[in-house]
Amino acid sequence: MNDKIEAGEQKTGMSQGHALDLKLPIGWLLSGYGALLTVYGLVTKKEMYAISLGINLNLIWGVLMLAIGGGFLLTAFLKRNKKPD
Amino acid sequence: MPPVITLNAIDYLIIGAYISVMILVGYSLKKYMKTGEDFFLSGRSLPGWITGLAFLSANLGALEVIGMVANSAKYGIATVHFYWVGAIPAMVFLGIFMMPFYYGSRVRTVPEYLKLRYNEATRGLNAISFAIMTVLMSGISLYAMALLFKIMLGWPLTQSILFAAVVVLLYVFWGGLSSSIYNEVIQFFLIWLGLLPIVFLGLKEVGGFQGFVAKLQEPLLHSVKYLGTSNNPLGVDWFGVVMGLGFVLSFGYWTTDFLVVQRALASKNINSARMTPIIASFPKMLVPIIVVIPGLVALLVLPEFSQAALPTADYNSALILLMKHYLPNGLLGLAITALLASFMSGMAGNVTAFNCIWTYDIYGTYIKKGKPDAHYLRMGKYATVFGIALSVGTAYIVQSFPNLMDYMQLIFSFFNAPLFATFLLGMFWKGATAWGGFWGLLVGILTAAGHYILYRAGVLTYHSDMAANFYQAIWAWSADFVVTIAVSLFTVKRNPKELAGLVFGLTAKPTAEARWYARPAVWGILAIIVAVILNVIFW
Repeated sequence: MNDKIEAGEQKTGMSQGHALDLKLPIGWLLSGYGALLTVYGLVTKKEMYAISLGINLNLIWGVLMLAIGGGFLLTAFLKRNKKPD
Repeated sequence: MPPVITLNAIDYLIIGAYISVMILVGYSLKKYMKTGEDFFLSGRSLPGWITGLAFLSANLGALEVIGMVANSAKYGIATVHFYWVGAIPAMVFLGIFMMPFYYGSRVRTVPEYLKLRYNEATRGLNAISFAIMTVLMSGISLYAMALLFKIMLGWPLTQSILFAAVVVLLYVFWGGLSSSIYNEVIQFFLIWLGLLPIVFLGLKEVGGFQGFVAKLQEPLLHSVKYLGTSNNPLGVDWFGVVMGLGFVLSFGYWTTDFLVVQRALASKNINSARMTPIIASFPKMLVPIIVVIPGLVALLVLPEFSQAALPTADYNSALILLMKHYLPNGLLGLAITALLASFMSGMAGNVTAFNCIWTYDIYGTYIKKGKPDAHYLRMGKYATVFGIALSVGTAYIVQSFPNLMDYMQLIFSFFNAPLFATFLLGMFWKGATAWGGFWGLLVGILTAAGHYILYRAGVLTYHSDMAANFYQAIWAWSADFVVTIAVSLFTVKRNPKELAGLVFGLTAKPTAEARWYARPAVWGILAIIVAVILNVIFW
């Protein structure tokens, strides 16, 4: 039943396909944050991290976010290159 | 009073980057919004992982997070019931049993299903109450956000409200439901990345779970053990938790609230639609990591929550004080962005649900019927504007209730709790008649309201407000259930042919099932098993 309705539908707008790959904005945002926190973690002094129990969590978290964000960007680009168009 | 937290340039940079990305995403979606379905239902084109994460995030608003951290500090590990009992079974039920009727019947909204299954009056009752409730919720989240940012950062109330309203307005106006969903998925990642540092540092400082066991009172450490009577931190017995929260409130919310169901309707096919709530159920089970652990840590490390200070402690401040306690600038900006993101996406979710219901079920049904699609698309955009304007107005009205979470439960139980009885009978009993549905729903809502009045007047007494809410939901649901059946027995039955595709037993089974590893039933059963195991571990 559903197939029939779907076939009869006009294909416009969003239904043309997955319009904007969400992996891109997620990837850019997270890797941007990651880079920012990594650099900030490298240039800030140790005293600032007394509250985070002496751990430079900006640096650690920055690297982690860079990796997650990079992963999203990588999958988005791989997917894009695989398509024939 | 000086602000609790001081931000510096890096924190503002992080907040600014988020807002810019949201506006850019909204703007780049603008060109795809050609039809009403594009705007209101993302053209039914999204893959399951996106709708699934959005389904979860739509509910994981900042109020929810702050309220649940507060609940955890107050009630301890029993807060997990809001997740493992109060969400997972309902989400799985929606995916496996109800989604075939929602998505399969091609309805655009929840009230539209009620119109097809029952009658116009039932739709009207639901659409109008939902529209009002949605605007209320949106106002609550706006007000709460502004209040939080005032206490936390010293930002003035009015400016925060207007600024957030304008950002949400921009991206919903441009990108409709897609903007809202994309924002929710981004928020999903931000909230985990923003709050996990608190969890790690907190566990490190208190010495892990052993630390909780050594230093906290026994009743705070168990989910189920003390539910035999209502003499436990929640003040609710097992019947109230299982029936009130686990069955009525939870099923009422997760299976009939258009805010969440709309995400599943935006899926690209029926299998993705059915997988949407089931995909969401797995991260949902893990949310206690970022709410319950911080709540318990707050009791041990913050002087504001020491044993002596407890009776007067403001639990809703627990999360903010923890952020101040642990996070250096940088991560602090990230955590604040996570809260801001969840406020905004919560509001955007309400606004997109509102503009869809308003346009299709109220405007397109009672005010101007049968106009071309472009007319309704334009109306949806106007509705976005005045929906947000109404929320801004509501934001100033919601200040009188202290525990925000209880207030939300209160609103849900007026409208959502009886609704689940109407859907359950509608989808699984072909004998439910049009007027049976209407009167059942109306009496259910009135029962909830009546119960609330009797409780406030002191005629009914419970161990806690939460117990009153749970039992109110049980009464409302039962009234709807009984009245729907009773009226159905004396009113005219619908022709079974008209109900094809809407009711169990009158709907053809889908012929081509997905392969076993992509089937909703397989993943749904797995979700239930994991939830049971978690409950046993934290007994």
